[in-house]
Amino acid sequence: MKIFQEAAAHIQCQSVMDWKATGKPIVGYTCSYLPAEILYAADILPLRLRAIETDGMDIGDAYFGPFICSFPKCLLQLVGSGHFKFIDGAVITPGCDGIRRLDECWRKAGEDYEGIVPGFFYYFDAPHKAEGHGMDWFVEEIETLVAEVEDHFQVEISNEKLHAAIVEYNKARRMLDTVESMRADKEMVLSGADMFAATIAGTALPRDVFSEQMARWMAILKQKPPLGSPRHRIMLLGSISDDLELFQLIESDTGAVVVADNLCFGVRAGGEPVEEAGDPVEALARHYLGGSTCPRLYGKYKHRLALVKEKIAKALVDGVIMQNIRFCDLHGAENALFERDLEALGIPCLRLEREYGPMTDRGRLKLRISAFLERLDRQSGKPRPDFRSRAAN
Amino acid sequence: MRSAIKAYNYDWMMGSLLEAAAKLPAGTAKETALAFNHIPYFKAPLEALIETGPPGIHFLNLLSKYYKNIVNARNDGKKIAATTFCSSPVIFYAMDIVPLTFEVLTAIGAMVWKRGMFDYMDYGCEVGMPETSCSSQRGALGAYLAGLGASIDFVVCDTPGVCDTNANAFVFAAEYLDKPFFQLNYPSTLGDDRSQAYHVKDYQALIAFLENQIGKTLDYNKLEAHLQEVEVQDAITADLEDMLMLVPTPIPPIYTLMIYSGRFCFAGHPEYTRLLELLRETAQKRMAEGIPGLKAGVENLRVLMCYIDHYTVDMNFYNYLEMRGIATTGSILTRNFRDDNKYCGPLEGSCYGMDTSSPEAMLDTMAQMNARLPMVRSIRGPYDQHGMWLEECLALARLYQADCIIYNGTPGCRNTWGMVKPFARDIEKQGIPVHIMNDDAFDDRVESWEATRERLDEFFTVRGLL
Repeated sequence: MKIFQEAAAHIQCQSVMDWKATGKPIVGYTCSYLPAEILYAADILPLRLRAIETDGMDIGDAYFGPFICSFPKCLLQLVGSGHFKFIDGAVITPGCDGIRRLDECWRKAGEDYEGIVPGFFYYFDAPHKAEGHGMDWFVEEIETLVAEVEDHFQVEISNEKLHAAIVEYNKARRMLDTVESMRADKEMVLSGADMFAATIAGTALPRDVFSEQMARWMAILKQKPPLGSPRHRIMLLGSISDDLELFQLIESDTGAVVVADNLCFGVRAGGEPVEEAGDPVEALARHYLGGSTCPRLYGKYKHRLALVKEKIAKALVDGVIMQNIRFCDLHGAENALFERDLEALGIPCLRLEREYGPMTDRGRLKLRISAFLERLDRQSGKPRPDFRSRAAN
Repeated sequence: MRSAIKAYNYDWMMGSLLEAAAKLPAGTAKETALAFNHIPYFKAPLEALIETGPPGIHFLNLLSKYYKNIVNARNDGKKIAATTFCSSPVIFYAMDIVPLTFEVLTAIGAMVWKRGMFDYMDYGCEVGMPETSCSSQRGALGAYLAGLGASIDFVVCDTPGVCDTNANAFVFAAEYLDKPFFQLNYPSTLGDDRSQAYHVKDYQALIAFLENQIGKTLDYNKLEAHLQEVEVQDAITADLEDMLMLVPTPIPPIYTLMIYSGRFCFAGHPEYTRLLELLRETAQKRMAEGIPGLKAGVENLRVLMCYIDHYTVDMNFYNYLEMRGIATTGSILTRNFRDDNKYCGPLEGSCYGMDTSSPEAMLDTMAQMNARLPMVRSIRGPYDQHGMWLEECLALARLYQADCIIYNGTPGCRNTWGMVKPFARDIEKQGIPVHIMNDDAFDDRVESWEATRERLDEFFTVRGLL
């Protein structure tokens, strides 16, 4: 779907700019722990902040120290160079230490670069535990955010509006889940890159537009003849990644297809529906915090391992590629545990550490991925592809 | 890991070494001098501690006991909790649990052992910890991951919400070793009713976890005894803090290390009270005689270490301060944020009070005390938020009359490296020079001590401080 590809490849995609042209506000947010339904219920476009199209690091490096993940640095780079001046608000969540410090670095950069701090600038304090008082704290954080949004944008976010937003979001979630099942089929009808583009688009497009486009895409996919069985069925998981190029690197010219993922921009954040009955704030809290899908929820490794194993079984995964951005210790350490436990089950794994943004280390990654796919070939007994003839072509 | 490193358990080896070291001053001066010939790599830190007299010797005994407690825990019928320097050991002692603090064990190994903790740090990476993780945990943790230490029974983590890399090391330890895990989690604010209540609920959950692990309930009478000891310790610490404010201060640089290391190991224990008494006695004597704490007898400069000190081989950092005539007014680790300290005045809501009148009061005291420990107090929320790191450092620099502020940490500290540049800029705006050290406090391979020293000298020279 062209609209998904465009939304995945450009921050200021057409649909976002169309929304802006209506004069309605746009609020950016940094982390999958923010219930976007709150903003949508206020007729505000929630826009997950991304840092693709970064073309330098001078601003990012001026505020962040050297031992920091390149994602918040790239974000700050875009912020400082005015790429996000079109947003009316920003919500920073302590998804990790790098991202939580974007709060200060963004504000301090605002002292040097005029007009880059939006009128609504908010710190959303998501806790690291989902039980008891942790969940209570998160509920209060949501309630406070609702009040702050109402106050700043002069809107009303009633329970009815929140409920309607949940219903709208769930509509697309169910469709994503259906396509995710199609992606796991033995016979391939879509690539991993196609699926990923859709999930990223879901964090940018107005939700009703996204739902409508998802419905159209599903109809196309259902009519589409299968493309055959992939040579290698890959699962991709790990830290922040909104880069289609990484999928393309795995899939192009290799016979491998990413049939499952567990990425914070992927279906991990978009799959399960929010409960539609009962108090909408509590339902949102349970959904966003209770899922424990990310290693920032400490002590839930076994839960996440079970989730990964379930996906591996469902999508008949041959091998798992784990990636993390350098300095992301949360995913780096958890990937090592995954590798230990999955390899013990006979599931081949590859761990990659990389930088966020333009794929400057494409050659290195390609080499390692190719070597991994060769390992899968050997294990499966499949004949090795003729690389010389491929190179000649 | 090389087989030679695997020949001895880390904790037994260090405990034995420190035990022998503590006995050394009991011999004659000639015997001590002869012994030094046989320990060229341990000589400098040992000399530095022995030179301080009774406090240094008591400190060596204290550290030796800390290791022995770990090594003997199984025989003593006690369980071992792997924990962090941000967690008060008082609750563990009150429940007959032996605390094993990775950062303390890493710092000691880094200072007194020829190779530092490099082999253990690297072992951590061998089994999956990222090389970008914090060296302060990875050093000693590497030994325990390799099975070169006493068996850990459970893990208590105390930094979620404040420091990812710290918390992550404990999560990794629990999963890798397959041990029960508990986390204390901190909101981004401090001093307000909501966060205070959160601390209490979290601490209640910790006690329930510990009770479950040891199979018995917390004896509040025992906790009260330990808290009363803390009360005495806090009063002595406040005296020492007052003396740190004097110009020149009668407190030698190495005293600050002893103040906080002792607290991390034995808060609430009479052994630590004795150490503090010895430190106070000697400092008061110097103060009465008008003698500065620095060996040279002249205080050329006063620095505030806004984060941590430097702990690599030979106690180079403390020796450097002595050589240059630089007094340290402490680091983030030195202060305990007890409400009767003078520095708590401008930091309203940042400090804790002591109340042992009932179990509920003691629970509240423990929870609030724990929430004021290093790092989890100062660096939890945005650094420029009320009561947080910036306000704290500015207040301390003024009160302690520091000439400059120095940041030193580890590359693993994402929490501070995420904002230390704007933080330093904000301090500079107030007219206080700031130096950011780009080394690793526990690993000289990141930047050699010689390079670190050159950069410090350059800073002091360029800024006209020395």
